[in-house]
Amino acid sequence: MIKTDVIIIGGGATGCGIARDLALRGVPHCLVEKGDFANGATGACHGLLHSGGRYVVNDPVAASECISENAILRKIAQKCVERTGGLFVRLPGDSKKYRDAFLKNCEEVGIATEVLSPSRALDLVPELNPAIEEAISVPDCSIDPFRLCMLNAYTSRRKGGGILIHHRVIDVIREKGMCVGVKVEDRSTSQVKEIRAKMIINASGAWGDVIARMGGSEVPMTLSKGSLIITNHRLTNMVINRLRTPSDGDIIVPNEAVCLAGTTSIRVDDPDAVEVDAAEVDLVATQAEQMIPRFGSTRLIRAYTGVRPLLKAESSDSRSISRGFRIIDHKNGMISIMGGKLSTYRLMAEKTVDAVMGVFGIKARCRTADLPLDGQDELTGYPLSKRLKSIDSVVCECELVDREAVENTINSLGTGYIGDIQHRTRLGMGPCQGGFCTYRALGIMQEAGRMSPAESIETLKTFLQRRFRGIRPALWGDQLREEQLVESIYLGILNMGQRP
Amino acid sequence: MKFEHCVRCTLCVENCPVFKVNPEFPGPKQAGPDAQRFRLDGERSVDAWVKLCSQCKRCEIACPYGVNVSEIILKAQLKYSSEHMSPFTAHLFANTHYLGKLGSSAAYLTNALSSTSLMRGTLGLMGLSSYLPLPEYRFLTLNRGRRRKGRFRSPRKVVFFHGCYLNYNRPDVGRKIRDLLTYLGCRVVMPRQTCCGLPALGNGDVDIARKFAQVNARELVSWINKGYKILYACTSCGLTLTHDYPETLRIPEGRKIAENTYNVHEFIASGVEDGTLTVEFGPVDRHVAYHIPCHLRALGIGYPAARLFEKIPDLKFHILDEDCCGLSGSYGFKKKNEGTAAALGEIAANAIRAVEPDALVSDCGACKMQLGHFTGLPALDPSEIIIESLRPRAPKKAFMKRRPT
Amino acid sequence: MSRYEYDAVVVGGGVSGIMAALTLSDKGFKVALVSKGDPVCCLSTGCIDVMTGSGGPLKGIAGLPADHPYRRAGEETIREALGSFLKIMEKGGLPYTGTVEENRRIITPIGTAKHTCLVPMTMAGAHFDEGEYLHVVSFKGIRDFYPSYITSRMRNSSFSVFDAGVSTTMGIAAKFEDEGFLSRFISWLQGIENPYDRLALPAVLGLSNPVRVMKRISEATGRQVLELPTLPPSIPGLRLFRTLKAALQARGGHLYWGKGVSSVESQGGQIEALTLATTARAARVQGRAFILATGSFVSGGLYAGRDSVKETVFGLPVFHPAERRDWFHTDFFTPGHAIEKAGIEVDDCFRPLGADVQNLFVCGSILARSEVMKNQCGHGLAIATGVAAAQACARGLA
Repeated sequence: MIKTDVIIIGGGATGCGIARDLALRGVPHCLVEKGDFANGATGACHGLLHSGGRYVVNDPVAASECISENAILRKIAQKCVERTGGLFVRLPGDSKKYRDAFLKNCEEVGIATEVLSPSRALDLVPELNPAIEEAISVPDCSIDPFRLCMLNAYTSRRKGGGILIHHRVIDVIREKGMCVGVKVEDRSTSQVKEIRAKMIINASGAWGDVIARMGGSEVPMTLSKGSLIITNHRLTNMVINRLRTPSDGDIIVPNEAVCLAGTTSIRVDDPDAVEVDAAEVDLVATQAEQMIPRFGSTRLIRAYTGVRPLLKAESSDSRSISRGFRIIDHKNGMISIMGGKLSTYRLMAEKTVDAVMGVFGIKARCRTADLPLDGQDELTGYPLSKRLKSIDSVVCECELVDREAVENTINSLGTGYIGDIQHRTRLGMGPCQGGFCTYRALGIMQEAGRMSPAESIETLKTFLQRRFRGIRPALWGDQLREEQLVESIYLGILNMGQRP
Repeated sequence: MKFEHCVRCTLCVENCPVFKVNPEFPGPKQAGPDAQRFRLDGERSVDAWVKLCSQCKRCEIACPYGVNVSEIILKAQLKYSSEHMSPFTAHLFANTHYLGKLGSSAAYLTNALSSTSLMRGTLGLMGLSSYLPLPEYRFLTLNRGRRRKGRFRSPRKVVFFHGCYLNYNRPDVGRKIRDLLTYLGCRVVMPRQTCCGLPALGNGDVDIARKFAQVNARELVSWINKGYKILYACTSCGLTLTHDYPETLRIPEGRKIAENTYNVHEFIASGVEDGTLTVEFGPVDRHVAYHIPCHLRALGIGYPAARLFEKIPDLKFHILDEDCCGLSGSYGFKKKNEGTAAALGEIAANAIRAVEPDALVSDCGACKMQLGHFTGLPALDPSEIIIESLRPRAPKKAFMKRRPT
Repeated sequence: MSRYEYDAVVVGGGVSGIMAALTLSDKGFKVALVSKGDPVCCLSTGCIDVMTGSGGPLKGIAGLPADHPYRRAGEETIREALGSFLKIMEKGGLPYTGTVEENRRIITPIGTAKHTCLVPMTMAGAHFDEGEYLHVVSFKGIRDFYPSYITSRMRNSSFSVFDAGVSTTMGIAAKFEDEGFLSRFISWLQGIENPYDRLALPAVLGLSNPVRVMKRISEATGRQVLELPTLPPSIPGLRLFRTLKAALQARGGHLYWGKGVSSVESQGGQIEALTLATTARAARVQGRAFILATGSFVSGGLYAGRDSVKETVFGLPVFHPAERRDWFHTDFFTPGHAIEKAGIEVDDCFRPLGADVQNLFVCGSILARSEVMKNQCGHGLAIATGVAAAQACARGLA
């Protein structure tokens, strides 16, 4: 049994941000997450560190939060953030009124803008649609949400906090109507553990209502699925937004060696059972194509989806529900933090911990904005110069991940989860989507004794099945060729499908 | 965006000679499409290992989807060279032209010295490899000889772009080709020409390459405008003229040059096949291994000399096109590539030995040097076989006196 | 424009294209083979899968629908074609073994078993048999071969690891060409004390003459030696291709490699010529008959757009499941996704349906309904249909 002061349920950006904040304020805590970091919306988002431009016309308060957090994260999370800059492009037919409001509000809120002529914009981003009427530059950045979570959790670990990934909450322990702890199942061993604390913070995102109900209360939520597509390589080095009322498919973000484009917004009921639809893929590609024409024909390597946890509202358009966040004190030992966006995670964490401090009566000040994230030195960067130490023993050739990186991750985590390696090293995130390298990584893991050969093959099967889910809706052109090659290896040479 | 088509099938890797024998080279897939996703403009190049690529182009021919693998690697090589200091040997070989001029002017001295251990030692210190004897130079280069030959009013007007190897090292073969063409009724002109520029590209100096290309282009275009076809025998020169001039170096009239440039055997074979050249092929009782130069494969024109060999009675020839000789122009002359070049030379030589020929034939000078050294067999140019076939029926003065090989 | 004239022009240099070209060449026709690049057989195990099924390939084939390309070729042609293949490989120095009467179960790199029919001589001993003690030798650092997968699934097996100094299949195979390396390897092998019956290695026993290397090792150890199939880069796949290609070159076939077809000239239901975009200038390759053997999606014979599939050289009508969402089942391990059925439909003479062209024949995996993964029939189908299409073509040319 583990005893601590605070339990955090959820290892997304909010949960990890709270863990770091508590650690820096000296409050013992334990974070539990059923999957790996960024398992929910955090891991399925756009990877965009907003300047706030997207919200500035309809929600200036949210925009203001964005721009101030943008500046803070640039400072404290340098290795997670790529300072790409962003453009809002106006195409023929887009509302000029919106554009004027955009510029006016940006100035009021404090978002630095510059109006660029089409030719200047095309110099910066040659793949832009030459028919744009103008572009407005903003300080958007690309951010790695997984790294963000991992580094926040690192501070917590360093200061003695407990971080239990792959631990699923199966029940909330209640005594006299108060939440006093949780029962978690360690998914690697099926062992059930008990953790007791004075306060439980529900930062489980789309599962917020599920967890709140375990605690005897509820959080009325609207779940909205957002799907994105990933291109084979960078078509732009800057974030590209559409200068109009936010809608589907109007953001393109460069991230590592690829571009992410999205998103959609479809109501769903179950946060666990979401799949990308081929129609969503086509929709996003069509919208993105208007800003970068090559999107119509470029190779897509995968599509993915996540569920946005939004506070319930009457409006039927889930996009118009405020992205602002809310802290709900259920007055039963559990506090829920709901809503929000990746860019403002730190602020959300700060406010949540402030609320908790009140309960404990501690007067420690939040320092998360002042101190840079720990552990950034060992991380690789995107361009070749920062990524490749040597070209010997590369395991993932698409993403240039070498054997040493894989073995280090395996050894430091002691993990049997291939996903853990993928998130930390980008193994399998490239054009072949792990078609070749996962087989190698699993081979290495089984040779290192982390799993038996039989377990390794079972994991490979599970991985191939899961991988296929993300690829299937976008399978045409070059990616379909890729898939036929991968099939010829696993279904042909290795004959994993049949029993002769 | 052709590299988008790469599905990591490894067909290029299976064809890469350097990857096969040098574990320091990660292969064309990695050096090309894989690393390309990470090459950001403005970032300093760190991929020194791209220089290990010999630009044989086998990867690009192997790709079923037309990914321009060797071109991606070439651009990375040029970028790397422009940002880092090149070794002495790179400067030396980028200026093959001057090397040739110097070597041939004092040919007797050059040849005498180059085989001495003092010279070999010095050259070794300068970064040259030692496994291959340096080629001999000749004073009477093609430049110094007769520039025009053949019937003035012939409808078949050709410019012979001979290239540096034939000019400075084997002018005898160059003259044979010239005489073969005139025997076939062509008016042959060998105008002023400088190095095609490929060694400069291969040694990271795109400016020198472009300079040479511009000089040649001016001359060649003037002849094309007069109705001349440009012929080449050295397949690397041919690839440079027809591919690099229009594409890599973007010479303004590069396309025109490409359209009007022919491999000498392609020219002869099409003339024979469509009947415009009446030729009687006499028997040649030889058993030869025809080693296809990598750059001939890259031209995509098939093997035109083989089409001629098929017509020569009694000639037995084996086409060997699976192995790169390893010398790859100036590549194997550099000490850092010595191991690779020697290992490949041995593999290619084994393939030749396996067919037990009495001579080897190759269009490319580097292939001839390298494989002649490894097999000890006489290394002939395809035109020499053709001349042997035609000589008995030709007038005495048509061809030069035959030197024993 | 450069011009070349032939009796038959084969487009696509894979197993089916080369077999078709060889068949026509043997009948005395002048043949050109045009290929945009190397074929996918270089990535295969090198084994000839004819048709999966424990009752033997022919039984499995008899059970296929009447419009399957195998059925159109007919059992007699299939036998003839495979026999012809065996002779070509024997003559080319890369002998194969096996009979079309039965399948054999060979060991895969992960220790599962797989049906195949004809195997290179170096894999003659690669059958799944737990009665014999199998010792696997792997190489230090090799990335795509983990012997423990095999030894954990087979009783009576063990493995050891040799440091070859290089760790890629290509690099190790090149080492085996060197006499010094081979001797060192053999001395090391002789130090292994396990009382094995069979000695298995991943397929790296040299690039040109693996049977010779295998025999040397076998003589030195006194045991049966065998190669196991590997992931790409696959040396046996490469050997298969090179032997077939050399056979065609020796027969006088002309190869135009590395450049794709940029346009097709046809008139009155007859294809007259193809244009190749060669480096210098376009080349016109003229023929009296043409064979399409460009393969499926990986090699580029077929191209899948967002909602339709095209044939990339002649623009022939392509049969395929209508909706993209139906192309792939949700289960990755489905034996044969629906898109596998896509391809060119042909008549009994292997001429494309719905195309109004008399002198074009189609063979190989570009044929509709091949279902190569489901039937595990890749190279067998290529050989059989390559020969069948060439025979039909020859009748037309005569």
